[in-house]
Amino acid sequence: MTDLYPSLAQCALVAAAFKVLLFPAYKSTDFEVHRNWLALTYSLPVKEWYYERTSEWTLDYPPFFAAFEWLLAQAAAYADPAMLVVKNLDYDSWQTVYFQRATVILTELVLVYALSRFVKSTPLPNKQAAHVASLSILLSPGLFIIDHIHFQYNGFMYGVLILSIVLARKQSTLLYSGILFAVLLCMKHIYLYLSLAYFVYLLRAYCLDPRSILRPRFGNIFKLGVCVLGVFGIAFGPFAQWGQLLQLKDRLFPFSRGLCHAYWAPNMWAMYSFTDRALIPLAPRLGLPVNQEALTSVTRGLVGDTSFAILPEVTKEHTFLLTFVFQLIPLIKLWFRPDWDTFVGAITLCGYASFLFGWHVHEKAVLLIIIPFSLIALKDRRYFSAFRPLAVAGHVSLFPLLFTAAEFPLKIVYTVLWLVLFLFVFDRVAPVPERPRIFVFDRLALFYLVVSIPLMVYCSLLHQVIFGLERLQFLPLMFMSSYSAVGVVGSWMGFLVVYFTA
Amino acid sequence: MAPSTPSSHRPRRKKLHTTTPTTAATTTTPRLNNNLILHVGAGKQVPAFPLVSFLWAARAGVSQWLILPLTLMVVGLFRWAVGLWGYSGFQVPPMHGDFEAQRHWMELTIHLPTFKWYLYDLQYWGLDYPPLTAYHSWLVGKIGSAVDPTWFALDASRGFEHPNLKIFMRATVMISEYLVYIPAVVNFLRRFTRMQGVHAWSASIALVAILLQPATILIDHGHFQYNTVMLGLMVASLDAILAGRMLWACIFFVGALGFKQMALYYAPVMFAYLLGVCVFPRIRVLRLIGIALITIAAFTLLFAPLLVGATSAEARKAFSVAQPPPLLQSLPIAVDKNSVVYAVLFQLTQTIHRVFPFARGLFEDKVANAWCAIHTFYKLNRFDTGLLQKASLGATVVSIFLPCVIIFRHPRASLLLPALACVSWGFFLFSFQVHEKSVLLPLLPMTLLLAGDGGLSKEIRAWVGWANVLGSWTMYPLLKREELRVPYIVMTLLWAYLIGLPIFSWETYRNRGTPELWTLTKLVHFSFFLAMIAWHVLEAWVPPPTRKPDLWVVLNALIGAAGFGIAYLWCLWKLICQSWPNSRSPAKEIGLKKRQ
Repeated sequence: MTDLYPSLAQCALVAAAFKVLLFPAYKSTDFEVHRNWLALTYSLPVKEWYYERTSEWTLDYPPFFAAFEWLLAQAAAYADPAMLVVKNLDYDSWQTVYFQRATVILTELVLVYALSRFVKSTPLPNKQAAHVASLSILLSPGLFIIDHIHFQYNGFMYGVLILSIVLARKQSTLLYSGILFAVLLCMKHIYLYLSLAYFVYLLRAYCLDPRSILRPRFGNIFKLGVCVLGVFGIAFGPFAQWGQLLQLKDRLFPFSRGLCHAYWAPNMWAMYSFTDRALIPLAPRLGLPVNQEALTSVTRGLVGDTSFAILPEVTKEHTFLLTFVFQLIPLIKLWFRPDWDTFVGAITLCGYASFLFGWHVHEKAVLLIIIPFSLIALKDRRYFSAFRPLAVAGHVSLFPLLFTAAEFPLKIVYTVLWLVLFLFVFDRVAPVPERPRIFVFDRLALFYLVVSIPLMVYCSLLHQVIFGLERLQFLPLMFMSSYSAVGVVGSWMGFLVVYFTA
Repeated sequence: MAPSTPSSHRPRRKKLHTTTPTTAATTTTPRLNNNLILHVGAGKQVPAFPLVSFLWAARAGVSQWLILPLTLMVVGLFRWAVGLWGYSGFQVPPMHGDFEAQRHWMELTIHLPTFKWYLYDLQYWGLDYPPLTAYHSWLVGKIGSAVDPTWFALDASRGFEHPNLKIFMRATVMISEYLVYIPAVVNFLRRFTRMQGVHAWSASIALVAILLQPATILIDHGHFQYNTVMLGLMVASLDAILAGRMLWACIFFVGALGFKQMALYYAPVMFAYLLGVCVFPRIRVLRLIGIALITIAAFTLLFAPLLVGATSAEARKAFSVAQPPPLLQSLPIAVDKNSVVYAVLFQLTQTIHRVFPFARGLFEDKVANAWCAIHTFYKLNRFDTGLLQKASLGATVVSIFLPCVIIFRHPRASLLLPALACVSWGFFLFSFQVHEKSVLLPLLPMTLLLAGDGGLSKEIRAWVGWANVLGSWTMYPLLKREELRVPYIVMTLLWAYLIGLPIFSWETYRNRGTPELWTLTKLVHFSFFLAMIAWHVLEAWVPPPTRKPDLWVVLNALIGAAGFGIAYLWCLWKLICQSWPNSRSPAKEIGLKKRQ
């Protein structure tokens, strides 16, 4: 009880000091994306929000996020009105930078609040572990790299997600959890990936009687239905009224993109592409037919339509089917055992399935796994040993997001600091499991951890020394994403075992 | 070899008698005199200030092998993040600032033979630091040229500004610091805390506090300088003294002097101490000779590359036609202008002439010392420079006389820190040609006090914290010019927060039974904190009267000078208390009396 130091607030304060110092750091095009959204929500009527196309970074988040930008824009008008002009493309006066960066830090307070609720909601014997886990989320290198350097508002939105997960802990607040999740969906539709877990859990634990699935609780069904539909109604109703839903659909789900993102997220498709590339030189010997078109393809399947030289093509339908199937498997268990721990496990596994098999997955989406997983990673040492490779792989895979020299030491040192500190503390805090652990898996995980060191050294230093800055640029990236993919897949399989045997 | 034998047993004896009374206390709970844990009833323990809570989990059983790397990573991140901001002279042609000066020295040392180093185009940032800086510049310049030769192309690269160059230069500061200052501080702290019987946990806390000292980070990683190399060599010298290796202490100190002449602020204490250990408790002639020889040898080694370079035919020819430096002109003997001796003397005197700019004024800009303060009310430029120089020398000597005598009479390693702080405050306040950045010198030994016995107790923490906040506050006008406002605010407030000072916490000044601060101390500190806040409000929102555009800056210097004067007195007071036979107790007695 006495050991909850440093407190969340203390850490948040010191972290905020550090983040303020990062104001002049590199910022990606996402900074301009959000500036453009500030501008267009501020200066255009709602009707035109999803039609505006002065900038190439059109509004492609759901309406609540647009409304959030509109709110921020009201304050931005005091900081520097010029940033709110739609035509001022790539505008970044220091006021704009300070303002936008400051909003990321301030809105992250939602995350701090959610985490403090999480610690409070945890029963006493596990409180310390919960406290450590929340610190690890608060100080996560993922949020640090993506939000405070690259620029996005993930801290805020994951705060909402965690709050919703925490509210799902008690029967009395389940309804609020559902509402909050609906709100979250209307802010960023990436969370749709987790919605099946919510659906199953709320249906089973809230809408049906816990003792018998044959006894629906109509009052609860009505309440939840009205609230969730109400939230969606508020968000999308006006646009439906104006007949803009199809336009919104096109904006929110741009399916013209390819299977893999420009930089391969460490998922199944990265491994698939890697295998395909590796097979090209071997194809003549193995007598495999080679798709000549794919060899000459300029983008080599990185952007736009992916084409594989040897392995069969992958279509959107395939990815959907795989994602759906692998989400369904953990949900079956959730259906039969609708408790909170299983629920968080199911959310994590839904995150895994969509990250590993999804179409055009972005490497940033790895937070979708790491953050829910962190909440239960300290349940016992088996969970922790599945979490460990994910923590390494997931964060290392974010490194290519920052490629400028000045941020290079920041991302490396911060991530190493976080990994050393939290893996050590987790190791101390995680209790011994009831069931025996699988030793082979532990050994493999340790081996995996050790490999990361020479790999990082090679990718960040040796490669440039050997090949120079220009040649074979894709090689370190490919190594990194394949290495990370192995880690993510490994931790997925490990966690599946833990989840089903728990 | 001979002098090391007598010196080696000193600290051991010292260690014995200081640690014995405390060993019982250190095993289970950290030393009570550090007040790290507050007991707030019902057996509940609360960290006394935020820094303690950050290291709360490290109270017991956590290896230094984990704590130390984590600490170094955290402080490194803050340093690098400060480095993302502006630097001195960015986009301010034609002269730019300290960044350009350092870059220019790299440029000239790698392209020119050594005899031209102190002669080349002196109007444009001529080299005016001692030889070790020149060698350091040469090394860094060589490495930088290997990366990109255009950064340091002779003459063509003047005023060169490129993001990559900035990153390279920032990285050199960082690496130099991590090679010199940080190992020195870590080693010094380990030895010093052990000597003082301080618990390892307190030592870790003190280390974080010392390494997050705002002024040093802001000047080196923000403004851009390599002060930490000089400060690091100084700390290494102190470490050697604690270890009883007097000869190494001499070598490191000569290194500090050879890197930046500013280390002279420390010289009187080092001299008095080293002389003291040869005289008290009994006269040791051999040790004195050893120290003298090794110092001379170190200086010779320091100048050797320059002097050897001066003997070449080309150098002799160049020197024979050049304008001889004033020091050489005043030499009583006449030397043949073409001889080797002349060349060597020329090089030596030219270097000294460049390093000590006696031709400049009493003070530059507005600096928080006595002269600037007096000048505000009574214009000093009516006097002749020679007279002012004498006055400044006299005042400095008076201010440092007492601490030097004490350290000479009681050459105890534990007295070094207050003595060094006191003397360097004296220099800062009264000596000639003081820069606002020189405040780093007194702040270093004063901050190191945090690691001493009771260093994290309310009294020392309050004083050290207050002096550091005041120190970085007096540099605000400088930092503001260089777009370092945000790092200044963040780093200074962070320090105040972590140490538990106002505006974040009044805990340090609150009465909770055991040792507490005197009312006078509280009064002084509060009025200064208030003044600093009020000044910032004025500076930010109230334009100064048109007839006195510098009013706020002058006000800053005045308040700063007053505060530093108080800091000087406090250090002197600490020194006197500690040098008393059977130290500690009289201080407490006097404290008790005052409170009654």
